[in-house]
Amino acid sequence: MGATIGTGDKKSVNVELNIVPFIDLMSCLTAFLLVTAVWVNIAQINIQPKGKTRDQAQVQQDDEHVTLSVLVQSDRIWVGLSRVNEFQDIPKKADDQDWDKLETTLKEHKASAFFADRSDLEIAAESTTAAPVKYQDIIHAMDVAVKVGFIDVGLSDPQGLAARPSL
Amino acid sequence: MPVHSAGPRLYASVKFKHLVRGAGSAAGTRPANISLNLTPFVDMMTILVTFLLMVFGSSSLLQAQKGLELPIAMARETLQQAPVIIVTKSEITYQGQLVATVDSVLRDDSPTFKIDALFERLDAAAKKIKEDVALGRQPKDLIKACEDAKSNIRPAPGKICPDGLAILQADESTDARLINKIVNTAKAAGFDNLLFAVKNK
Repeated sequence: MGATIGTGDKKSVNVELNIVPFIDLMSCLTAFLLVTAVWVNIAQINIQPKGKTRDQAQVQQDDEHVTLSVLVQSDRIWVGLSRVNEFQDIPKKADDQDWDKLETTLKEHKASAFFADRSDLEIAAESTTAAPVKYQDIIHAMDVAVKVGFIDVGLSDPQGLAARPSL
Repeated sequence: MPVHSAGPRLYASVKFKHLVRGAGSAAGTRPANISLNLTPFVDMMTILVTFLLMVFGSSSLLQAQKGLELPIAMARETLQQAPVIIVTKSEITYQGQLVATVDSVLRDDSPTFKIDALFERLDAAAKKIKEDVALGRQPKDLIKACEDAKSNIRPAPGKICPDGLAILQADESTDARLINKIVNTAKAAGFDNLLFAVKNK
């Protein structure tokens, strides 16, 4: 960057900086960043893989420990309590799952004596070729759980759920 | 219309007198250069570049992928740096390298219920991360998060222990069977803490 000192007059001590290259650089950088910047806000949902998988032997559950399980199927959602073996069926509403009903159900469980001071819950999705379940549905179920207060969400294999409805 | 003498003019009717007065006439006795005040322009550019650099820096954790639309969620927790498993409509990649195709994994009905090619890479990565944490090669705050995790202390947002932490960046239409297989594979390899990348509503 060039600089001109003085203007020929011996008394003048003004310095003029040539800022044209600086402006050129800034313009190029701004244009480049505007083109390449990603404007989508990306967040995360933190989960812990839970339950037993096909590789593992049967896991003995603590008799005193009641687990809240959510099973997402293509046409309905089951919410169940292990040990108590109590299940609630939330059928699909029109084209989408009934997320409002799921939220209400989970809120009721959160307010119950079992889960008032707990924040763990396990979710599983049962998908088949004939009745597929999309990843978006799993995320939606987790999102509802986190919103209600079950922030320790565990993702389980459908066979590994602590409370699984017998169909 | 009267005839004017030659001199600086802006188009036909707007006279250039206000500039002529300050910067000299066309007669050549004084210079006709006009100095613009560029300071506000430079200020604006500097602020804009700083803002864009910050936005660019925080969003570079995940790469944009062709054929991948992230699921939408209300979650607001900022994504943390970790190894990334990417599931597009057709491929599964780990750290940018192709591991398997979606079709081949969905066709595979092996009793192990995990993706072998992905397991090998995740297993090697998990061992390396564990070693880095043990030798203190991670940032101090993350080392502290690992110590806290042993004491069952909940980590601060964005400060989860990197030991056993991975990001799953999957397309919203991915079959849940595939997600189950990937989660099982990650768990078997030692990644027992997964971050599901989502788009904010």
